[in-house]
Amino acid sequence: MSIADQALTDDLAARRDMIVCRGVKKWFGDFQALRGVDVTVKDREVMVVLGPSGSGKSTLIRCINRLEVHQEGDIVVDGVELTNDTRNIEKIRSEVGMVFQQFNLFPHLTVLDNITLAPIWVRKKAKAEAERTAMELLERVGIPEQAAKFPGQLSGGQQQRVAIARSLAMEPKIMLFDEPTSALDPEMIAEVLDVMKDLARGGMTMMVVTHEMGFAREVADRLVFMESGDVVEVGTPEHFFTNPKEERTKLFLSQIL
Amino acid sequence: MSEITAPIETRPEEPSHTAGRWIRDNLFSSVSNTIQTVVFSAIVLGLLRWILGQVFSEDADWSSVATNLRLLMSYNYPTEQFVRIWVAAAAIFLMLGLSLGAWGIDPGFSVRRSARTLISTGVFALVVRLLLPSSTPDAIAMAMIVIGVVAIVIGGVVMRAVPKSSDRRVSFTAALGVMVGLVLAVVWLVPFGSYGVAEGERYAVPGVTVASSTKVPWTIVLLLVFFAQILGRRLGVSVGSVIRRSIVAFWVIGPAFIIFLVLRDPSFDWAHVWSTDVPMAAAFALGGGALLYALGRPGRDDLARVVGALLLALALFHWVAAFFGWYPMLQKARISFLLIALAVLLVPTFAGERSARVRFAGAWVGFMVVLHWLITGINTPSTLEISAPPFLGGLVLTVGIAYYVMLVSFPLGVLLSLARTSKMPIFRVMSTTYIEVIRGVPLITVLFFFSIMLPLFLPRGMGISDLAAVFAGYTVFSAAYMAENIRGGLQSVRRGQYEAADALGLTTVQRTTLIVLPQALRVSIPNLVGQAIATFKETSLIAIVGGFDLLRIANSTIPNQPDFLGQKRPGLLFISLVYFVVAYTMSKSSQRLEARLQAGQAR
Ligand SMILES: Nc1ncnc2c1ncn2[C@@H]1O[C@H](COP(=O)(O)OP(=O)(O)OP(=O)(O)O)[C@@H](O)[C@H]1O
Ligand SMILES: [Mg+2]
Repeated sequence: MSIADQALTDDLAARRDMIVCRGVKKWFGDFQALRGVDVTVKDREVMVVLGPSGSGKSTLIRCINRLEVHQEGDIVVDGVELTNDTRNIEKIRSEVGMVFQQFNLFPHLTVLDNITLAPIWVRKKAKAEAERTAMELLERVGIPEQAAKFPGQLSGGQQQRVAIARSLAMEPKIMLFDEPTSALDPEMIAEVLDVMKDLARGGMTMMVVTHEMGFAREVADRLVFMESGDVVEVGTPEHFFTNPKEERTKLFLSQIL
Repeated sequence: MSEITAPIETRPEEPSHTAGRWIRDNLFSSVSNTIQTVVFSAIVLGLLRWILGQVFSEDADWSSVATNLRLLMSYNYPTEQFVRIWVAAAAIFLMLGLSLGAWGIDPGFSVRRSARTLISTGVFALVVRLLLPSSTPDAIAMAMIVIGVVAIVIGGVVMRAVPKSSDRRVSFTAALGVMVGLVLAVVWLVPFGSYGVAEGERYAVPGVTVASSTKVPWTIVLLLVFFAQILGRRLGVSVGSVIRRSIVAFWVIGPAFIIFLVLRDPSFDWAHVWSTDVPMAAAFALGGGALLYALGRPGRDDLARVVGALLLALALFHWVAAFFGWYPMLQKARISFLLIALAVLLVPTFAGERSARVRFAGAWVGFMVVLHWLITGINTPSTLEISAPPFLGGLVLTVGIAYYVMLVSFPLGVLLSLARTSKMPIFRVMSTTYIEVIRGVPLITVLFFFSIMLPLFLPRGMGISDLAAVFAGYTVFSAAYMAENIRGGLQSVRRGQYEAADALGLTTVQRTTLIVLPQALRVSIPNLVGQAIATFKETSLIAIVGGFDLLRIANSTIPNQPDFLGQKRPGLLFISLVYFVVAYTMSKSSQRLEARLQAGQAR
């Protein structure tokens, strides 16, 4: 059994592969950030990625929607292999939502325009329809009254919820989260995590880099622990928080818990 | 619910202080502060006195400017055709009024602040009266006193009547009405006097107001602004986006219509127009429109890219052929081929639903019609009987050239800056070379190159008019600087913005036009306006390559007139004032624009 398939319960194993990484290697100049990563994310699975700073967590999930280009190995997203073909990349990107640590909302557009932009220009939706969907999404993340404001006028937690709504407006099959709560004040973290839990319960396939252990324990189907560009251990939350196998995992968890 | 039930506190009144207190606090708070105040006051008053002395000194003779106003404004446009100038001015002012109204522009001056401004104006007028040299005509000295007293009294009454806490504002319509009323009153009532000639001697005729051939048109034009503003406000509310879009379209293509239809009136060879021009325009407009509509159907992106590439190859081939003179083809056909190729390449970005395709194809048809009309208009002789070839000159030329140079060099600058920051090495190298070469060469050299050297390089049979050459030179020059200013803005857009756009699946063109450029241009506004002001002032170099701009008229045309031999100073002072007023207005409006944009996205 390869490391990618570790800890697959029978239920998970029966599902479709949404993200498959096989031997993914990535260099920044001479520095190797990923050293042959094997990970499989199944349909409707929530996978949380853990690891110390600089271990390559961001690099890995950014390779999945081609914000970074890997040099060796294969990445297959929902059956489409990532190659240099721009059409493939645009297709994958429009089906994979991404939420950033720094929100990255478009400051010159209102909240509503932030959300409707991609549906109108990429999905070619009619404006009225896109706006209706956007308002529904804003209801879902709990801030419909902020639709006409600009991002600069919102709190961090509100901005991050808009960013999630913006990704969801593209009706993605997969959502990637790169430390979505790390730039937030403690009192705002819960409101963003609640939205993410909601999404997970709704059956979204998610890959989440986070240091929120409570979230990982409650929501994750599986956890991945990375260090120095390697996947060290994959397992269920139960496995991780009761008896992790590897020494390095134990050390990391003891520091963070 | 506590937030709602809590009593709403009113903002505390600002502590009131008297004028004397303010002066003490701000001007004489310490010894060094007092010294500074005294020294600077002395310098400013001295300067003002010197300027007034220049203006009203015994030997200053402003008749050279007054007599030549028409020359300075529009050069030697035939007098009997002057109605065309007025029609053009009326169109521009009408649109100005409509624009002010439709965008709901309203500086929102508070009543109290306006009253304060009025009082300071009055004080200033009285100070001017004190500093006037003794040679000043009595009427002007008297006028200063009257203006000063009236302004101070009105301002004072308003200040007393309106309580300090009031935030009453002057409505823009009212302010505009007062301004228009004042100008009209001055034009109709003030006896500026005029100059008559008797036995070869000029003499001043006192007590005459402005000639009716001037004041009647100005009255109409100013009233047009006022009423158009009100109309624009109404329309802005009822059919906002339609009227605003039409107005923008007017500002982009309107000046061309004015120049070629109103001021120049091309004498079309109608047989040729019907046999060649119209069919060709129709073919490109309708054929191109149909092609764009068909290729815009979802799922035809690849086809559009292939067709676009083929058309581009064909278009480039026509240009190569023109260079070697293989076969003749109308220039506008070559241009149209190139444009349709570019439009087809853009199809995947704008394609989509039926309505989107209709809009894209419709924009193309409209664009083609206007472009072909313009090219035909430019290539057709004028019906006007004009003595000297450059029929445009003076302020009209200065403003016109500056306006068009900015209009054309701006998109060029955007493209150059994007090329310079692109990942593709050939774009980067080409754009960098262009920018560095142009920036390393003085403007005057570029202008000489275009007006003198370029005609020598053109294929046989192809000419370029002086004005077109000058315009091309300025545009090429200005584009390089625009590009550098915009590049500064591009660098300020954070990487996260690119990543967010990519992660949403936007194409590179969409990312650039929808996300990156809007942010970059906002940052670049101050520099771009600086650049625009520089361009406006640099139009004075037209004189050197043969145009009759403001500077040339003031510096050599007027001093060569038999009546005003050698009189340079009044003319130069006058045009300095004109340059200053225009440049200052531009700078002020850019500050407004910035403040408005920033209010939206406060960070
Ligand atoms: N653009 C880049 N150029 C060069 N090196 C990079 C670049 N991006 C990341 N790296 C390096 O790659 C390694 C992995 O980075 P990555 O951002 O993936 O870590 P991470 O696990 O997300 O860490 P953190 O928890 O701090 O976000 C780090 O050593 C980092 O310095
Ligand atoms: Mg990271």
